Amino acid sequence: MAKTYDYLFKLLLIGDSGVGKTSILFRFSEDAFNISFISTIGIDFKIRTIDLDGKKVKLQIWDTAGQERFRTITTAYYRGSMGIMLVYDVTNEKSFENIKNWIRNIEENASADVEKMILGNKCDLDSKRQVSKERGEQLAVEYQIKFVETSAKDSLNVEYAFYTLARDIKAKMEKKQEASNPPGARGGTHQLKANDQQRKPPSWLSRCSIL
Amino acid sequence: MSDADTNDAVENEYVEDGSNKLLVKCKFCGSKILERKSGKFVTKEIDLPLMEQDKRAEAKVQYEKINQFFFVENMYTFENIGFTHTIDNCKYLSCADCDAGPVGYYNMDTKHSYVALSRVKHE
Repeated sequence: MAKTYDYLFKLLLIGDSGVGKTSILFRFSEDAFNISFISTIGIDFKIRTIDLDGKKVKLQIWDTAGQERFRTITTAYYRGSMGIMLVYDVTNEKSFENIKNWIRNIEENASADVEKMILGNKCDLDSKRQVSKERGEQLAVEYQIKFVETSAKDSLNVEYAFYTLARDIKAKMEKKQEASNPPGARGGTHQLKANDQQRKPPSWLSRCSIL
Repeated sequence: MSDADTNDAVENEYVEDGSNKLLVKCKFCGSKILERKSGKFVTKEIDLPLMEQDKRAEAKVQYEKINQFFFVENMYTFENIGFTHTIDNCKYLSCADCDAGPVGYYNMDTKHSYVALSRVKHE
């Protein structure tokens, strides 16, 4: 069958245990399926399809919950990932301090040009807050990473965060393709680009299947 | 009505040229799972865990036999879908928006997915 999408991005959720990574991916506490079979086993990853500037983009989003007790995420998880959500809990100082360790872990294991974004989760719990929004912003500036506060519970900014990360990855890929195209032949450039895009996802797919 | 008759009825209503005639959506929240014509209709008998299980802790997982599926060769054909952790070389499929499921299963060896017709909405 003909391929029905333009881009395929693998994204990871990373951060300390208990910051709400699973809630960002999995909403079981919100609905009637609390005691369902699915919530007992847990979700490994999700596929979501979004529209970005007229392009059909497939996101494969992986939860790394359960891995973090090893202090690092294994290389297998990082393989082929193009975007990483670094999640901390605004009511947990330690999880915020550990973002720096997670960034180091990413630098050591993930591809050098992986796009990153920092999420300060549980911002609905204002009375228990230990980390101000300003500190989150400051950290983001320090590492030159985008930042947003989220509430998985209220679905606040979660979708926005995924769109933002996906848009940044897409922009980076398009920039790369532009750079690798020969200068001058402006008319043919667009055609080449479209072909490149179609070839890209399968190459990543084959790498991913090792997982 | 015999099984064969039921299959015929379902085929007429939901299947066209061997694939799903309509959009496949979550029964509960309407999240889009498959575009039209992206799953191939197959019949095979599989025991799938019930979507709502007995809530008593001592209760065993309850199954039901399902024999009509839309076969999806490549997982990226799905619009929105969740994959559970692996159990017995299989991942169960769930709604990406409300987490209802299993709406089908994924075979780790073949990397093929099967969506149960009776566990989704056809629109």
